[in-house]
Amino acid sequence: MRKGRGLKLYCAALYAFLYAPLAVMTVFSFNRAHRNVVWLGFSLKWYGVLFHDAEMMRAALTTLELAVSASAISGALGLLAAYALVRHKPFPGRGVYATLLDVPLMIPEVALGVGLLSFLVRMGYELNFGALACAHALICLPYAVGAVRARLQSSGGERLEEAAMDLGADEWTAFRKVTLPLAMPAVVSGALLAFTISFGDFVTSFFLSGIGVTTLPVKIYSMMKFGVTPEINALSVLLLAATFVLLGVNALFASNPGESSVRA
Amino acid sequence: MPEVTRRDFLKAAVLLPLVPAALAACRRAGSERVVNFYNWSDYIGKDVLPNFTKETGIKVNYDLFADEEAMFAKIRAGARGYDLIVIGDYLIPRFRLLRLIDPIPPGVLKNRGNIAPRFRRASYDPDEAVVPYLWGTTGIGYNRKTVKKKPTSWWDLWDPRYKGRLSMLDNVRDCVSLALQLLGIPETTDDPADLQKAHDLLVKQKPLVAMYSSSSYLDSLVAGEIELAMTWSGDLFQAARDNPSLDYVIPKEGTYMWVDCLALVHGSRHRADTLRLIDYLLEPRVAADNANAVRYATPNAKAMPYIDPVLRRDPRVYPPPDRMKTLALHHVLTPEQTEMWNRVWADVKVA
Amino acid sequence: MLDRALSWLLGGRRPTASHLLLAPSAVWLTIFLLLPSAGLLALSFAHNGPYGAVSWTLGLQNYRRAFNPEYVPVLLRTLVFSGGTTLICLLLGYPLAYYLSFRAGRRRGALIIALMVPFWTSALVAFYSWMIILGREGLLNAVLRRLGLVSAPLALLYTPFSLFLGLVYFYLPFTVLPLYGSLEKIPRQYVEAAYDLGAGRWSAFRQVTLPLSMPGIVAAVLLTFVPCLGDFLTAELLGGPRYYLVGNLISNQFLMAQDWPFGAALTCLLLAGLVGGLWLYRRWEAVA
Repeated sequence: MRKGRGLKLYCAALYAFLYAPLAVMTVFSFNRAHRNVVWLGFSLKWYGVLFHDAEMMRAALTTLELAVSASAISGALGLLAAYALVRHKPFPGRGVYATLLDVPLMIPEVALGVGLLSFLVRMGYELNFGALACAHALICLPYAVGAVRARLQSSGGERLEEAAMDLGADEWTAFRKVTLPLAMPAVVSGALLAFTISFGDFVTSFFLSGIGVTTLPVKIYSMMKFGVTPEINALSVLLLAATFVLLGVNALFASNPGESSVRA
Repeated sequence: MPEVTRRDFLKAAVLLPLVPAALAACRRAGSERVVNFYNWSDYIGKDVLPNFTKETGIKVNYDLFADEEAMFAKIRAGARGYDLIVIGDYLIPRFRLLRLIDPIPPGVLKNRGNIAPRFRRASYDPDEAVVPYLWGTTGIGYNRKTVKKKPTSWWDLWDPRYKGRLSMLDNVRDCVSLALQLLGIPETTDDPADLQKAHDLLVKQKPLVAMYSSSSYLDSLVAGEIELAMTWSGDLFQAARDNPSLDYVIPKEGTYMWVDCLALVHGSRHRADTLRLIDYLLEPRVAADNANAVRYATPNAKAMPYIDPVLRRDPRVYPPPDRMKTLALHHVLTPEQTEMWNRVWADVKVA
Repeated sequence: MLDRALSWLLGGRRPTASHLLLAPSAVWLTIFLLLPSAGLLALSFAHNGPYGAVSWTLGLQNYRRAFNPEYVPVLLRTLVFSGGTTLICLLLGYPLAYYLSFRAGRRRGALIIALMVPFWTSALVAFYSWMIILGREGLLNAVLRRLGLVSAPLALLYTPFSLFLGLVYFYLPFTVLPLYGSLEKIPRQYVEAAYDLGAGRWSAFRQVTLPLSMPGIVAAVLLTFVPCLGDFLTAELLGGPRYYLVGNLISNQFLMAQDWPFGAALTCLLLAGLVGGLWLYRRWEAVA
């Protein structure tokens, strides 16, 4: 029992480590200064600035849309790919696929940005939101595949599937009723990883953003020269608050309280 | 446990391959009246662009970059659609040679005459292909509270007392030319041995340097993390709003001035409207709005009466005439020199 | 009819079915990765011309230049920081993943999302906060001084400590989630069976849980170590000039030195090394 409490305390400490910068960020969103590295006094002015800053709101919306598109695409592609890689009997080329799916992790983003931009331009694409979303889906793909693959590989699933098929279900039914629900936590955590990668991405977004497509990280890095203001903190605080409210609502209305919201 | 219906599955399967197709379909129409302006965040007066739109009906898309060199890389890789960019003087020959910008034809800007003579036909732009936007100097920014003795010389940046508490600009031009200047070697040198000496001088300084940075060092300066920084004048004045003990000095050895310019991007689809915006930015009151907002100096002589008197009287922003005479523009490097300088800086970073 | 087609696809008794399931990813990889990388490969043999214009006289000079011994320390330093970060993340993250998988109960979903939420702001915002915490006049130094533990403020920023801290902070969730994904699936009965057979907590963990979570560990290492190798922003913001990593070296060729052919050659070497390493690992795994 005591051991269990130790683990709990340890995890709480780890979460405290992850949330310490957020606490600082929240406090400094009420800062009067232009640069949020010194405290010059309490003020609500940056929230006011934020509410009148249509461009900032648009950047936030663009970033969200981008992260949702990228995680949806990479999640779907990743699920199919991971399933074929793990569950199918070995087929020629499997190693090539497995390796290729990890390459987006390995290539430095600046090199990928320059290479991809040059390539798209040569092919006659004009940069727009779609191009950026596709590029984000690519850099997110290894995370989606990785999470699902690790789960499918860990023992257990095949047996349930086989049991289902012994009971007369075909592969599709077994996939739908057994594999997918079992893989769902990994699909969701893969999508969460993808969302996070896309949401915070600066380099790829910088190179592949077309006219009028400005994401938050591009906006924020561009502000470094003349000062990243507490307006950014205020925006981050509101985004976080919205996330927690959504999570809370989700938890309240979750039909099956025994199951966590991720699984539902 | 959730059920994934066949329809969900099919929908996803059908929609996914359509995404690249949608890419091709989404080409933009180029007919609307709009100018795509590529610049730093906040490097313009707050109401300038809205007023321009009100006056002319031309919309301005203000897109952002964080760093000129990265912007150069992006444009060079083929990013198209921008009409107007702000670039530093030393980048102009590169943009010209690679045909990334088009020269502004003579005579089309009715406000070109507002520019002070000193900034016309400058060495980097003998044929007036671009328009000077704002200018400043490179100097030393320092924290009066912690730096007891006011820095007067560039050599203070080599003073071991400030080990781990000073920063250098992450910029080839500024750092290599400073090293050459301190060694008494002219910027025009072609001799690899001279550049080796500059390299050695910068490497000697490296153990003292807390960071090479052209933007994030300002936060460290404001926060008191570093006390001494090679800096661009206007950036420091903006940072000083949050930390009044920050001050700026032009070292006694003299310094270079730099000019950020407005340039017309090659292949712009909104040329006429872009030229109109450039002309608007040259109007005295507008130029003054920009200079007052970003605290850089304006090259626009007619704008001077509208400049905030505090800034106008500040010798750090507008050096007195005798000081102005000692300010030099960077020499325009040949491609071979550019390559050598880039190598020196890359090697300093690795050393 | 459709059910049967889907079953055929999922059954994977024919290689065609596997290729079809992988086709969407393959299309994506081809358009957005392989073709651009082929461009980089070609570029790596080119010459850097005036003002960084590429001249297409091909040669091996960029590769010869890359094998300069002055880059060895950069590579070693990168391996130390990436490897160290991965190790710290694994050690810190495994107990958390274990807790999430077996102990968290109904709070699990919320806790997992809470793991990612801190990163749904810009990394730069987190960086500023770390600056406020770690600065000479920062929160941590203030606390340490109040407690009388130090007399003069510690220099924490721009040290290996701050770089490790930044890297661990940013990569920890990418270690924990794959670990969780594979730990969560381990049936409790296995562990209980080990207890029944007289195993202690530690040996049950070592002999049952740990081996069964190996795929998760591999995925976590991959998702932490490899991106760490190419990271350059963290080193730039929290590391300082003495901690110049491979990611900085490559990015600088493209952004600052404007020497794309050399940057492309370095990228190709990095990719060759990593792909080769991964390939060898997979071969070894298949044999073992």
